[in-house]
Amino acid sequence: MISYIGKRMVAVIPIVLFATLVTFALIHISPVDPAEAYLTAAHIYPTPEILEQKRHEFGLDQPLLTQYMHTLQRISRLDFGASYLTNKPVWDEVKARLPATVELALSSMSLSIVVSIPLGVLAAMRKNGWIDILSRGISYFGASIPQFWLGYLLIFFFSVRLDWLPVEGRGTWQHLVLPTLTLSLVLIALYTRLLRSSVLEQLQETYVQYARTRGIRERMIMLRHILKMAITPLITSMGMNLGKLLTGTIIVEQVFSWPGFGRYFVEAIFNRDIPVIQCYVFLAACLFIVCNLLVDLVHLYMDPRISSKGRAEQ
Amino acid sequence: MSVRHRKTATFMLVTLLLLSVILGCAKQENTPASTSTNGAANEKSITLSWPRDIGTMNPHVYNPSQLFAQSMIYEPLVSYKQGGKLEPALAESWTISKDGKTYTFKLRKGVKFSDGTLFNAAIVKKNFDAIMKNEKTHSWLGIVGVLDKTEAVDDSTFRMTLKEPYYPVIQDLSVVRPFRFLGEAGFPDDGDTSKGIKKPVGTGPWMLDEYKQDEYATFKRNPNYWGTAPKMDKITVKIIPDGETRVMAFEKGDLDLIYGEGVISLDAFKQLRDTNQYVTTLSEPVGTRSLLLNSSNPKLADLRVRLALQHGFNKQAMVEGVTSGLEETADTVLSKNYPYTNVDLQPIGYDVEKSKALLDEAGWKLPAGGTVREKDGQQLDFELIFDKTDPIQKAMAETIQAEWGELGVKVNLTGLELTVQIKRLRSNQFDLYFWYNYGAPYDPHSFINVIAKKSFGISEVLSALPMKKDLDQQVHEALSSTDETKRQELYASILKTLQKQSAIVPISYIKKTAVYQKKITNFVFPANRDENPFEGIEIGK
Repeated sequence: MISYIGKRMVAVIPIVLFATLVTFALIHISPVDPAEAYLTAAHIYPTPEILEQKRHEFGLDQPLLTQYMHTLQRISRLDFGASYLTNKPVWDEVKARLPATVELALSSMSLSIVVSIPLGVLAAMRKNGWIDILSRGISYFGASIPQFWLGYLLIFFFSVRLDWLPVEGRGTWQHLVLPTLTLSLVLIALYTRLLRSSVLEQLQETYVQYARTRGIRERMIMLRHILKMAITPLITSMGMNLGKLLTGTIIVEQVFSWPGFGRYFVEAIFNRDIPVIQCYVFLAACLFIVCNLLVDLVHLYMDPRISSKGRAEQ
Repeated sequence: MSVRHRKTATFMLVTLLLLSVILGCAKQENTPASTSTNGAANEKSITLSWPRDIGTMNPHVYNPSQLFAQSMIYEPLVSYKQGGKLEPALAESWTISKDGKTYTFKLRKGVKFSDGTLFNAAIVKKNFDAIMKNEKTHSWLGIVGVLDKTEAVDDSTFRMTLKEPYYPVIQDLSVVRPFRFLGEAGFPDDGDTSKGIKKPVGTGPWMLDEYKQDEYATFKRNPNYWGTAPKMDKITVKIIPDGETRVMAFEKGDLDLIYGEGVISLDAFKQLRDTNQYVTTLSEPVGTRSLLLNSSNPKLADLRVRLALQHGFNKQAMVEGVTSGLEETADTVLSKNYPYTNVDLQPIGYDVEKSKALLDEAGWKLPAGGTVREKDGQQLDFELIFDKTDPIQKAMAETIQAEWGELGVKVNLTGLELTVQIKRLRSNQFDLYFWYNYGAPYDPHSFINVIAKKSFGISEVLSALPMKKDLDQQVHEALSSTDETKRQELYASILKTLQKQSAIVPISYIKKTAVYQKKITNFVFPANRDENPFEGIEIGK
């Protein structure tokens, strides 16, 4: 297992390198010069002299290859430079904002798991019953409503009208409720349908009929056999969604004034704060890779038939 | 333990850990922002929102520090009041030498910084030195280019010497940054404030009390303040980036005031106004939304074409329609609430027939069966660039396109990112462009400065005007003149020329909006566009 993880980690290097190369290229293709972007973000008028000075300071007068090598060297030390806007090290700023994003990501993921697993299973077991219709309704609603709109609706009803929860901000568990609900609904919609169809598929399998003929109770069949098999596609989907949640739930953070990573990134885009954008892309690539790896490890743990070489042994 | 039990135990453990993380995160103390309006029994406080974090509160640097918040903590030598009146602030009085090069300020005595240290000429000089150390950063401000020497003559006398006369020195000193004063305790060891300050220590009526980046900031009254103490004990600023959320927080009662330029949509403003539950108010014009007709484009170099374009769209209907009457139609590039701008100028009104006649006269004729005018085989077409994130610019651009289309003028619209748009302005790569002047206290002198000075984009727009050299000369004379009457004459002449030349087409006057709960009284918009409005605010019973 450890050697497997090791090998996977080594495989990460070219992907991360590719991500840094793409970011570097995008920044250089962009019509706005980074030195000019810095001055604009800082509200300093870009006279030719100061532009020249900044270009030299940022090493933009060096050949592209040298610039890229420098970028790589710095990134390997987790040094993303200073934000154009605040002049503070980007890595420190990101570290300060990550807890808020992680908090929201974990709570949303947990809520969606807690709700969608029983809902998905029950919907499959009572196919076309009222619970199935209900789950279908939730899924339809969750998948089709834009998140910012849902956020506004929740704020309007639960905060403005009923005065139960705060409109925005972070600090208490009450602050966490509405953004969590907003983020979870779409996940619940997805997971419930996924699990339902996957459980229905398993129900057709011969091992289920065999278990039934052995006289095992229906509940036990569901918990010990079907669920274990049916949950596999769900885990893959959760891994990818966790990556998305951790890279910043941009719209939801904006709507609920949640002081997280996503909001920081949005501001960076508006201000062309290139060091921040570079750091974001790098982190996003890493987070997705780690989530992918986690998914594979969980699969490996749950289904010993899958060898650490990554294929099912027949 | 069997494999199955081990798995169950692991699952339980993971679940428990997850739950404890969530609960741990949730069990944080209340933010002061959420209790600010119900604070101590007798404490008078208000809560407002701002779209962005207040920043580092360094008086000598720009973004991300927010101007209104900087102006709560730091004060200028001279204060800008309604109608451009300059009043004493930290300087009690000042004298200007006859040659207009030496400015001597008598500083107010007994002024203390919020930490109790004395404000004197030495600290004024120290601040000036720190600012001028990064001269290039501040070169946009006229005074920086002409400042030669500063000296602390005695404890309460500060003197500046200029390289050449420049009349708007006093106006430039009233702006929010960079010429405001940080106390000794705030200076870094090497004295270079451009890299950061130790703490925000100012002489202003407020001091920063609590601050959580991206979440909130609270300001309390400065006990050492020399002037009339504010009526409020505390001001809480909640950082809410989303306009709709801001409106809902206000409706819930979490906010007492929403104030600023474009902080809520015009629709939301109207909707709040129509409920009659709150007070909604608009400021005097703080700037003009104009359309630049780039005369360096040969088609636009012809005055008849520029005049035809200005006559050719219904400004009144467009401003009413697009801004719902929250902006005011502008007939002149500068509104009359600045110094030297109360000049009698002839408006160029809506007149389609005149417009068509002017285009015909200029040789741009409609070909038989065609919709776009032509001359010498060329079509009369222009590119109008606009900020694609600005809904007002977009709507106005579309209206202009339709109205000029009726005249036989083809307009191609290009929505750009703001940074790219500004770049195109500065490099003179455009035909038509939405532009704004700077507002008080920067205008009118900053406005005439960019007319003459290259690289801001405006001088280039006017480059093909036959009297451009004269204009530049008049600008130079106006900025360096020590004679008030002559200066007024020069301003009048410059404004008249610009009005007649129609290369900068005024569209509307932009106003600040304020929405507040009825308990707030005595709300007055500050005369300085960037200052805070908290000076006289009171809470009624």
